[in-house]
Amino acid sequence: MIRIFNRILDHIEEWLIASFMAAATLIIFAAVLHRQCASVPWLWKYAAALNFSWAQELCIYLFIWMAKFGAAYGVRTGIHIGVDVLVNAVRPAMRRVLVVAALSLGAFFTGVIAFMGVRWVWFVYGTGQTSPDLEWPMWVIYLCIPLGSSLMCYRFLQVLTRFVRSGELPVHTLGAAHEDPA
Amino acid sequence: MNVGLILVILLVLLLTGTPISIALGMTVLTFLVLFSSFSIDTVDIVSQRLFTGLESFAIMAVPFFVLSGTFLTDGGIARRIIRFALALVGWMHGGLAIAAILACTFFATISGSSPATVVAIGSIMLPAMIKHGYPKRFAVGVITTSGSLGILIPPSIVMIIYAVSTSESAGKLFIAGIVPGILLAAVLMLVTYVTARKKNFPTLPRASGREIWESFKDAFWGLMLVVIVMGGIYGGIFTPTEAAAVSAVYAFIAAVFIYRGLKLREVPKVLLSAANTSAMLLYIITNAILFSFLLTSEQIPQALSQWVIVQHLSPWMFLVAVNVALLVAGQFMEPSSIILILAPLLVPIAKNLGIDPIHLGVIMTVNMEIGMIHPPVGLNLFVASHIAKMGLTEVSIACLPWVFVLLAYLILITYVPVISLWLPNLLY
Repeated sequence: MIRIFNRILDHIEEWLIASFMAAATLIIFAAVLHRQCASVPWLWKYAAALNFSWAQELCIYLFIWMAKFGAAYGVRTGIHIGVDVLVNAVRPAMRRVLVVAALSLGAFFTGVIAFMGVRWVWFVYGTGQTSPDLEWPMWVIYLCIPLGSSLMCYRFLQVLTRFVRSGELPVHTLGAAHEDPA
Repeated sequence: MNVGLILVILLVLLLTGTPISIALGMTVLTFLVLFSSFSIDTVDIVSQRLFTGLESFAIMAVPFFVLSGTFLTDGGIARRIIRFALALVGWMHGGLAIAAILACTFFATISGSSPATVVAIGSIMLPAMIKHGYPKRFAVGVITTSGSLGILIPPSIVMIIYAVSTSESAGKLFIAGIVPGILLAAVLMLVTYVTARKKNFPTLPRASGREIWESFKDAFWGLMLVVIVMGGIYGGIFTPTEAAAVSAVYAFIAAVFIYRGLKLREVPKVLLSAANTSAMLLYIITNAILFSFLLTSEQIPQALSQWVIVQHLSPWMFLVAVNVALLVAGQFMEPSSIILILAPLLVPIAKNLGIDPIHLGVIMTVNMEIGMIHPPVGLNLFVASHIAKMGLTEVSIACLPWVFVLLAYLILITYVPVISLWLPNLLY
């Protein structure tokens, strides 16, 4: 049962972040194209019929959602790097303690943020605030904080249990090292 | 007092191996709960910041450039750029190595990432150099080092992060990276040429004019991306973020339809891996923004500025201190975290001392390049060791001579600001 739940969760997570990435890119590309068309004499009439003023706002929201859920996915793939000088220098038993501490800290922090996020969404819901361009209710948009952070907390707990049981940690594969930043 | 406390909390958290992003966020929480006049309102500000901190269109250039970089690496563009570079300089002493540097330079003009440049160029050029009888160490050193050009030559993800965290113009910083980038490429080629003559490395036959033209035509669609991105930004057609989005779409089309290095059904995988990297970067950015919010509300940048003024530190001394601090930080953390934490602290001081923040941005970027080829956390080293199937220690030793070349270059960039500032001042 729990295994099926995890499978579905994994799929939703991956599908969500990949499609948000694609959507944001296409929207900004379309907006740029649209603006260029608007300056072409025989095209501006058609271009004027469309309005892309909301594109930047939607792109930002899509990426923030992508970031919050992608951060949870990142826990699973082991991409969140820390300083490992001490961890690699100490004895295995000590290393175990440090890794457990670090993972628990991750779970704790994301748990607290999820809780605070719920408080915040509740508050914004009360104000009835809407976004400036799309005029969507802000509390829905802010939902990514509690949702993303609880998912991230769940991922940390998953990695923690696996580490305690088998001593394995997800390692971001160097074969895909071009994914690394900068 | 507060400075010390914040630093101690952060240091302890970092040493447990906690991800840097979490350590930054946790420091803010701990400090707020323990030492400030704690109220639930401050906590609400924190959760709000986690969203609003990212609410900027300028930051979104990061995921777009990551995506475009992923398409470029996998899409068969690197191979064509290498063929063109080989046709141009392959016949010189150390021709293969010089062509590798040239190919990295070309690739850096379309990609904003150093490790991506090492992967794209290195996975082809490294085996080729070894096959032609270059010493393995020399080959690995050249590739790892010239790959670091990726963040100095625009576009550059590191520069965008600097621009965002200091409210400088990313466009101006990009321009400032051009001359230092080309100069560094020239320095690396010169060092390679001299070494190659001395050690008598093999040369390739001179390419015919026809081959140069053919390889240029083949690489043309990849190289066009420079024109689109830089031309678009400086022609006022679009902002750096829009340029990044256009470059992602262009790279997709080039990789899937023009060069056919990627199949359409592989695209979701590319999207996912780009999303993974960008989410990680954005998560660090969010927490670093939270952290600098704490620093600002505790007035730490001002205090630090004040301290520097009281010490009568000359700009010259200040830059020595900055470089030493950055080199040390580069031993423990990767570039984006360092810049996000330190740039907001350093820029106010630099401004007080009459140092141009754009110049400081270039200094920091060159410094980060050194961090990338230096153990223990140099990203380029990890990538190179994977491609070369060499141990991390051996790759590090291979890069050591190049670290000194880069250090000398860093001193040049630091004390001859005109190299970085001439072009942007001309254009802006």
